[in-house]
Amino acid sequence: MSTIVIGLSMGLLLFLLAAGLTLIFGMLRVINFAHGSLYMLGAYCAYQIVQTTGSFWLGLLVAPFLAAAIGALMERVALRPVYARDHVYQLLLTFGFILVIDEAVRLFWGLEYKQIAPPDLFSEPVAILGSQVPTYRLFIIGFGALIAAGLFFMLERSRYGMVIRAASGDPEMVQTLGISVSRIRTFVFAFGSGLAALGGVVAAPLLPIELGMGFSVIIDCFIVVVIGGLGNIRGAVLGALLIGMTRALGYTYAPSWVEFLTFVLLIATLVLRPEGLFSRKGRAA
Amino acid sequence: MSLLQMRNCDVYYGKAKTLHDISLDVEEGEIVSLIGRNGAGKSTLIKAIIGLMGLERGERLFDGRDVTGLAPEALSRLGIAFVPENRRIFAALNVDENLRIATVMGRTGAWDLRRIYRLFPRLEERKDTPGDALSGGEQQMLAVGRGLLTNPRLLLLDEPTEGLAPLIVQDLVAAMAAINAEGVAILLVEQNLKVPLKLAQRQYVIDNGRIQWHGQTGELLENQEKIEALISL
Ligand SMILES: Nc1ncnc2c1ncn2[C@@H]1O[C@H](COP(=O)(O)OP(=O)(O)OP(=O)(O)O)[C@@H](O)[C@H]1O
Ligand SMILES: [Mg+2]
Repeated sequence: MSTIVIGLSMGLLLFLLAAGLTLIFGMLRVINFAHGSLYMLGAYCAYQIVQTTGSFWLGLLVAPFLAAAIGALMERVALRPVYARDHVYQLLLTFGFILVIDEAVRLFWGLEYKQIAPPDLFSEPVAILGSQVPTYRLFIIGFGALIAAGLFFMLERSRYGMVIRAASGDPEMVQTLGISVSRIRTFVFAFGSGLAALGGVVAAPLLPIELGMGFSVIIDCFIVVVIGGLGNIRGAVLGALLIGMTRALGYTYAPSWVEFLTFVLLIATLVLRPEGLFSRKGRAA
Repeated sequence: MSLLQMRNCDVYYGKAKTLHDISLDVEEGEIVSLIGRNGAGKSTLIKAIIGLMGLERGERLFDGRDVTGLAPEALSRLGIAFVPENRRIFAALNVDENLRIATVMGRTGAWDLRRIYRLFPRLEERKDTPGDALSGGEQQMLAVGRGLLTNPRLLLLDEPTEGLAPLIVQDLVAAMAAINAEGVAILLVEQNLKVPLKLAQRQYVIDNGRIQWHGQTGELLENQEKIEALISL
């Protein structure tokens, strides 16, 4: 039971990150290498807010907005001028963001790792079907599922979602309907950055908060996005759960095979179904 | 004063000059056609009118105002609608959403969802169908409906009848006439004279990126041989 809980919580945490990455890719056709850095920034913000105010919940609320503002700035100031150029420039630029954010974090918080505890509400484990399960993991599952449901609702039912889906497919056509696509790009980049930071806050009580944390998670995130199908939210959910469960089961039953299994999944996808296991043609969600 | 005036426009794809010194007008409420063979430059000119292609030289005027530097979204809000070749229906949106997206920032006016469904009842029956699961005729109706929902003063139609069965072409011609009767000017792109002769008051003939001839539909009939030669393959 606790393996399933760990797998699901890892999966939903990965989803928060992969969703942002894939939304940004769908709209901007840019793979944002700095996504992991925004996740790390979210965790450090959570740490800082917990230190100063004692409230984890305030961190959960504030950090995403902060990261969204930074994301909006990155898109407007740096990415926008290079859309017309070769893709390499955009990749290099997002790589540059990593260096800037990492350096800023180092200057601000130093090299020593930080830690925060889960909110008091989740300090006691509960017993489910005879096994002890950390309540914070259950919170992650519930919260992640809530965000996933919200995202689906936003994408499938709201006007914003409709415009994002249309603009991900044919931005020029959307422009000719009077809609400013450059604003949508900024919005989507900011939104994805906010999701990354949200993931960082949620992960903060589970891991040491340190400079390298963005890097290790972004690799898993790329794998999720490739397995799910680039630019595809439904795929991101399923891919994230698949990777989360693979990892949790692997750690329990075959710890030295975990990385191997993950990469087998990745390679099998690329060979057998390069458009992603869960992609449906032409769909953003 | 003309509704749309393109004056001495040059348009490039990268370094390749594709349109040469193009001048073209559309009057308020008029149907004008732009005729030319494959690769003549028709779609490029339409994209230059809606702002998807920049003008290297020349001017675009709308309602007497210089709008040369404006982006497509701004031109749309002034009242130019674009119904592209290949329809460009949003695959990730269903029929209803493909129409509603035009109302997000579109101008308000006489055209609303209900009227589009009345004009094209077939679309209402297929409301929930994904955009990429429609027949060619349905896609074309949807593209026209989407354009109309921005409540344009000028509707750009790029080869609307291409690849459609004759009966559906008839419906579409009737729809164009009805739309025009409401005061919407139409610039109709075609590769042949069939529909232009039925609908348009004035004609432009384009080849090799240059306007080769323009005049009233009556004058075209007098020069029909010369013009057929310009547009035949
Ligand atoms: N994206 C592009 N890049 C470079 N050249 C292009 C591009 N699109 C069109 N061209 C060239 O510009 C010229 C005009 O093309 P355009 O599409 O405007 O012709 P058209 O009259 O619309 O033809 P058709 O009837 O086939 O639609 C052609 O020689 C074409 O090869
Ligand atoms: Mg064309």
